[in-house]
Amino acid sequence: MSFVSLNFVIFVAVAAGAYFLCPAKYRWGILLAASQFFYLLTSPHTYVFLLFTTITTFCGGIFIERQTECYKNFVKEHKEELDRKQKKEWKARYDRKKRRILLAVLLLNLGILAFVKYFKVYLNTLSRLLELESISFEAGILIPLGISFYTFQSLGYLIDIYREQYKADRNPLKFALFVSWFPQIIQGPISRYDQLAEQLYEPHFFQYERVKFGIQLMMWGWFKKLVVADRVAVFVNQVFDRYTEYTGFYAILGVIGYTIQIYGDFSGGMDIARGVSQIFGIDLTLNFKRPYFATNIPEFWRRWHITLGAWCRDYIFYPISLSKFFGKLGKSSRKLLGDRIGKLVPVIFAQLITFFVIGIWHGAEFKYTAYGLYQAVFIIGGILFEPFIIRLTELLRINTKAFSWRLFQISRTFILIVIGRFFSRGTSFTAALWMMKHSFDLNPGIFFNGDIFTLGLTPKDFILLGFCLVFWIIISVIQECGYSVRQLIAQQNAVFRWMIYLAGIFAVMVFGVYGIGYDAGSFIYRGF
Amino acid sequence: MKETVIEILMDVRPDIDLGEGVQLIDDGELESLDIVALVGELNDEFDINISVKHLIPENFNSVDAIVALIESLQE
Repeated sequence: MSFVSLNFVIFVAVAAGAYFLCPAKYRWGILLAASQFFYLLTSPHTYVFLLFTTITTFCGGIFIERQTECYKNFVKEHKEELDRKQKKEWKARYDRKKRRILLAVLLLNLGILAFVKYFKVYLNTLSRLLELESISFEAGILIPLGISFYTFQSLGYLIDIYREQYKADRNPLKFALFVSWFPQIIQGPISRYDQLAEQLYEPHFFQYERVKFGIQLMMWGWFKKLVVADRVAVFVNQVFDRYTEYTGFYAILGVIGYTIQIYGDFSGGMDIARGVSQIFGIDLTLNFKRPYFATNIPEFWRRWHITLGAWCRDYIFYPISLSKFFGKLGKSSRKLLGDRIGKLVPVIFAQLITFFVIGIWHGAEFKYTAYGLYQAVFIIGGILFEPFIIRLTELLRINTKAFSWRLFQISRTFILIVIGRFFSRGTSFTAALWMMKHSFDLNPGIFFNGDIFTLGLTPKDFILLGFCLVFWIIISVIQECGYSVRQLIAQQNAVFRWMIYLAGIFAVMVFGVYGIGYDAGSFIYRGF
Repeated sequence: MKETVIEILMDVRPDIDLGEGVQLIDDGELESLDIVALVGELNDEFDINISVKHLIPENFNSVDAIVALIESLQE
């Protein structure tokens, strides 16, 4: 069931009706039923994978917690007999048991994720290695809906239990709801248990204001997805899928278009997910914070797909950079490379590994690894050259507080992000490099001789896109200044307010990209 | 101890705002890279072992919280 279908709207309306009519005590049950029903309806053949992850992480959490409790009870019982050293030894013994359980569940789930997601790529690589060029494995296996998202979310929960950050969930049905909450299962956000679970389990009561805000957020998501992203997709697909025919400004327009498309598509999907959740009284974690206003690449990653970045920071970056091995490496590097660089060595390695993981999280093809490493190069470069850049700005007497400097930083970061999109959207790594190289085959004539309109969009489409983008930028600037657009609308008189609502509905209904053969459900991140 | 922590914080992030009510993590004063550098310095200075499980915002949101974390690990 697609987020942008009438069926979905009816589904949400029925689920919300049932939720608010149900006795408060059992309301979480309605959310569970709706989530399981949604998954079964949308991806029935892969339901067993969701079930497997739910069961293994639920049991893993309890087993890990049992070891923690066993150690605490043991220390309590033998309080007077044990000295500090002995306590440490016993703790290490129980920690080893905990680690074994954690590793087993991690490997099982990550193994499944790697198998189903990368199966086709592995087979094709194998066929190339064995020089079976004529054989191409196009079939592959069905990728379970949202597997990258719910696997990361569940494993985050398990690692937190291992770290004793909260108690393990003892109710398997409630835990199943945490894993499968339907608005977020397709493409996130990757929520933390302590931020989401309690919200799902406790009853919420009907609040007109919240329902209204939720619907508005959904409308905004549909606008970004259907009116902007899917319209831009028409020429983006044309350029990237037949890239050898489209060089110069075509390629430049294509990659800028894709930068807009992926933001509209992904953040639009997030707005729908957050809007639906808000109707039920649940606040999902923010996944986007106007990323194209970032002034550098690290800031971009704090604004783009925030929950994946936070997950990688907490469960990959910190454990690596604070590990004993990297601690020792840092100390020996300090002797060799000096204090400043030496200190940075663990951080640099941890960043490289983190962005490598972010790359392969998107897919097994080398282009995704290149995309991750491309980002890492700028982040590491920024860390290493920070003092020189500060010195240079001082020497050149640049006022770093001025708006013009900020504008320069935003533009520079945007250009770097756009270039990186060649990798993530290119049909392959070599295709991405080919497109980059041929972007310099300048052909400004396409803007004057009408060739630009052979990409599938009419002049009217381009004008509409221009208006929509200006509108989107204005909204983003208002939000960036700290205002809530929905609150501002709520303060207006009824007539004006309803004019805005109707204009929004009209825009989505009339200007949304629909048509025969068009699959509105295919959100880009659904494929990840 | 508090003075040493402030010194280390200023060393890690010279432009840090340690004003009253500033939440170092929640307000974005300290980023992940700063945290790693800070943990390394605190471990060396106070001979403690701050591990990943201690890396929660509540432990780093203020100088007092950092001092409390160090004291709990020294016990």
